[in-house]
Amino acid sequence: MPGRVILCIGTKKGLFVAEASNARRSFALRGPYGPGVAVYAALIDTRGTPRLYASSCNAFFGMKILRSTDLGKSFKETKSAPSFPKEDGRALANIWSLQVGTGKKDLWCGVEPASLFRSGDGGDSWEMVAGLSNHEHARKWQPGNGGLCLHTILRDGNRMHIGISTGGHYLSEDGGVSFTASNKGVGAGFAPDPYPEFGQCVHKIAGHKDAPGRLYMQNHGGWAEWDGPGGPRPDIGVLRSDDHGRTWRSIAKGLPSDFGFPIVVHPHDADTVYVMPHEGQTRTCPGGAPAVWRSEDGGGSWKRLARGLPKKQSFFTVQRDAMDIDELKSPALYFGTTTGQLWMGRESGEEWDCLFDSLPPIHCVKVAAV
Amino acid sequence: MSITIHVPGALRACCAGAAELELSAASVRATLEQIERRYPELHRSICDETGAVRRHVNLFVNTSHIRDREGLDTALAPGDVVTILPAVSGG
Repeated sequence: MPGRVILCIGTKKGLFVAEASNARRSFALRGPYGPGVAVYAALIDTRGTPRLYASSCNAFFGMKILRSTDLGKSFKETKSAPSFPKEDGRALANIWSLQVGTGKKDLWCGVEPASLFRSGDGGDSWEMVAGLSNHEHARKWQPGNGGLCLHTILRDGNRMHIGISTGGHYLSEDGGVSFTASNKGVGAGFAPDPYPEFGQCVHKIAGHKDAPGRLYMQNHGGWAEWDGPGGPRPDIGVLRSDDHGRTWRSIAKGLPSDFGFPIVVHPHDADTVYVMPHEGQTRTCPGGAPAVWRSEDGGGSWKRLARGLPKKQSFFTVQRDAMDIDELKSPALYFGTTTGQLWMGRESGEEWDCLFDSLPPIHCVKVAAV
Repeated sequence: MSITIHVPGALRACCAGAAELELSAASVRATLEQIERRYPELHRSICDETGAVRRHVNLFVNTSHIRDREGLDTALAPGDVVTILPAVSGG
């Protein structure tokens, strides 16, 4: 049984690591690592000796990847970060996603402008994945408000799901060699065609290891009132697929807003899914009263979870990678805010405590029991 | 012709801790090409993969910003000092 819980908290001013016993009574905080530099992606690789990775988005000197082999007590830069071939013409602007691969040292990395890279040596060298990065659609993808980012990499055996804002969902069935746009049922609010082949502003995709065909998506919602070409697009923001992402259907009914960024699945129950609804216009908590919403029937119905959270005057945003859930028997949910608060919801989000209330603005939160 | 490169503290780890590098180059572009060959990590911190100087990095020849001279084609004379400086920016 794991003895400790490790949190990686990527912020505007560097990476923080918090550690607690698996009782999760109190967390010790260390950092920032890569001080002063924004961290948008982190990974806790629990295969073998745990390794922690974080992107370091240095506005001055370019992208770095930090790696720790001592549970975040120290970090060193890997020998290189992803970079485009010189003749490509694109330049790396940010690193948005880090994910483990098949082999022990295999890593995948999603970047801005939306492209995919792969490492076979734990992040010391990287190779661009042409099947996605040079996809025939790639030069037609458009940046969302956060940039043109490849933010989701989900692996399921030889299948791979990629989420791009704004590009949509792409599916590979050959281990990440070739990719196909797979957005049937995924709406777009900012184009005359409400259901284009690609170009949707997907915010996050989540899956479950025991239900590989099942996927959940937080898409860019908030288009119920649209009265322009193509008409209103209600409930396009929260979606589910039961066929490996080939088709999607809305599960947004019952939520106060279909706009949000993160989406998280319970580690022991593929029917239990969490979202953090925001108002479409302000991209903050509806009515200034934050709440996580949980469905225990795969999106058929939703319950508001807010015990312990502020009841009013809280207008923060929870970004796409700033919510995660641990894998203990009674898992705790965690989210970080753009106002620098790190919240933990015990018993699957039933009871919330603020672990840290004055961190820099939080971009990402990753948790693992080790 | 010998010129001096002044390396800011944040980038000295890319060149074995050196605060200054002595190179022989006739232009800023040739200087960066030499840095790319000899100190690739330092070059990656100054230029992106297209070869453009990063947006928040400034290069000076003596006291002149290269944008006020001939950019990367600014000619260098013996004894010139090329200073790499992060821009005053942030938040």
